[in-house]
Amino acid sequence: MKSRAIYGHLFSAPWIITFALFWLYPLAYSLYLGFTDYRLMLPDYNWVGLENFRNLMHDSDFLSALKNTFIFVLGTIPLTTVISLLFALLLEKNFRGRTLFRSAYFMPSITSMVVIALIFTNLYSRGGYLYLLADMLGLSPPPNGFLLSSKTALYTIMAMDVWMSVGYYMLLFLAGLKSIPKELYEAAEVAGAGAMRKFLSITLPLLKPVALFIIVINTIKSFQVFIEIFVMTKGNYGTSTAVYFIYDSGLSRFQFGYASAAAYILFVIIALFSIAQFKLLKSRPVQ
Amino acid sequence: MKTAKGILLWAILFAMVFPLLWMLRVSLLPPDSALNLTDLLAGSWAFITYIDIFSGGNMLRFFLNSAFVGLTVTLGNILFCFMTGYALSRYRFIGKKFWFYSVIFVLMIPTHIIIIPLYLLIFKMGMYDTFWALILPFLVNPIGIFLVKQYIDTLPNSMEEAARIDGAGEFRILFRIILPLCRPALAVLAIQVFLTNWNSFLFPFILTSSESVRTLPVALALYQGHQAIDWPHLMAGSSLAVIPVLLVFLVFQRHIVSGITAGAIKQ
Repeated sequence: MKSRAIYGHLFSAPWIITFALFWLYPLAYSLYLGFTDYRLMLPDYNWVGLENFRNLMHDSDFLSALKNTFIFVLGTIPLTTVISLLFALLLEKNFRGRTLFRSAYFMPSITSMVVIALIFTNLYSRGGYLYLLADMLGLSPPPNGFLLSSKTALYTIMAMDVWMSVGYYMLLFLAGLKSIPKELYEAAEVAGAGAMRKFLSITLPLLKPVALFIIVINTIKSFQVFIEIFVMTKGNYGTSTAVYFIYDSGLSRFQFGYASAAAYILFVIIALFSIAQFKLLKSRPVQ
Repeated sequence: MKTAKGILLWAILFAMVFPLLWMLRVSLLPPDSALNLTDLLAGSWAFITYIDIFSGGNMLRFFLNSAFVGLTVTLGNILFCFMTGYALSRYRFIGKKFWFYSVIFVLMIPTHIIIIPLYLLIFKMGMYDTFWALILPFLVNPIGIFLVKQYIDTLPNSMEEAARIDGAGEFRILFRIILPLCRPALAVLAIQVFLTNWNSFLFPFILTSSESVRTLPVALALYQGHQAIDWPHLMAGSSLAVIPVLLVFLVFQRHIVSGITAGAIKQ
């Protein structure tokens, strides 16, 4: 046994090196950078303590980026979760053509986000189909298109995001539904339970682990929304998000220290959110 | 009731596929078309955009760059996730628990935190704006390791023991005995890695700047900077980014779905 241990190290070496070099070191390095005024690759920079963090707290660009990120997360996640569950319930039962619908609903979520964002840039613009549709429905869309107005830009990007990701979470819910033992429903039927009762007392509680998983991964993902903002608005019209801010201050203006501090603030927010979700959803006893 | 559900299902289907159909249709319009309903429905069908792309020009290069990076990263992940997954499943060695937790840790960590330091690291390693930057950091990934480890955990180790008694070396066991057994898990892994990498935007965007190493999603995102957008050409390029994904999806649907759901159900 002992002599074979060397192979354990050897075979996991690719991961050990990747982890140390491309994850652990960057994590530590950016924490360190957050306390410095490093910028523009200048050779000398100083330890500035908490100055970056203090400045960020008074930086209106950062604060509005954070606010937009919260709007994005709190707005999309409930919608995405509920709609994807509804889709899963619609497509749970076996019927002809079920695979076709499942595949079609899932398709947007494996399509490149850049491409989706480009398509919707056109659909949302003046004269684009979603613009015309909104006009027909009497919603009086903004004169220059949805993305060129701070009243609508963020919300229409959020709508696109929901549209894009429901298929993915639908698949997870479908897998969750499949894992519920059929005997439970049969027993409930024998006991005279109706469809609603079965849904509330069996389906919903037993889907809780999957729902928790979906909400947590979606939270982590949504807090980092970036690509669609970059492609569709470049952070204009009230759509700048936290990661867009990090990109903009770090890699457009090369304020590495400042951007790293912002990244760590977002990191802590995401961590707190994930922990809170685990606590909240785990604590309620299953009936 | 039945028909109401049918209508609902088809309406949703239409909403889900319309944007992609729109993309394909616009890509087949002559470049000077108006994108109104008349042109879209009754307008001519032209292949000029695709002919432009494939007769040389940058879009073809971006496509080939994406394919090269995607395939290399996929091969790397098959090999390295397999090796690491096997090591974490079968061997006993000091630090094994720690490395397993490191996999879980990276799985959960938001990637935005390494944007700045990875950029600086790649820059200092002299890999900025090279294919190395797009490949080296991504050759092994935590989801893949996790997937392989879980899979190997379920395999009986009687064959390995028998091979060992016959005097087979560890490398021989790894590649001749375990590798063939892991084919289903590695297929799931390969497809997942390829699709993720093919669509990847953030890191290729921040780690390169010149056109010679630009990948397709980056090129498409930067295309917009031009003054008047030539939608037919842009959508032809977009179709080029989407069609391989759809083909992979149609052929390997089962693997994709099981790859996605494997993680969720294990929770």
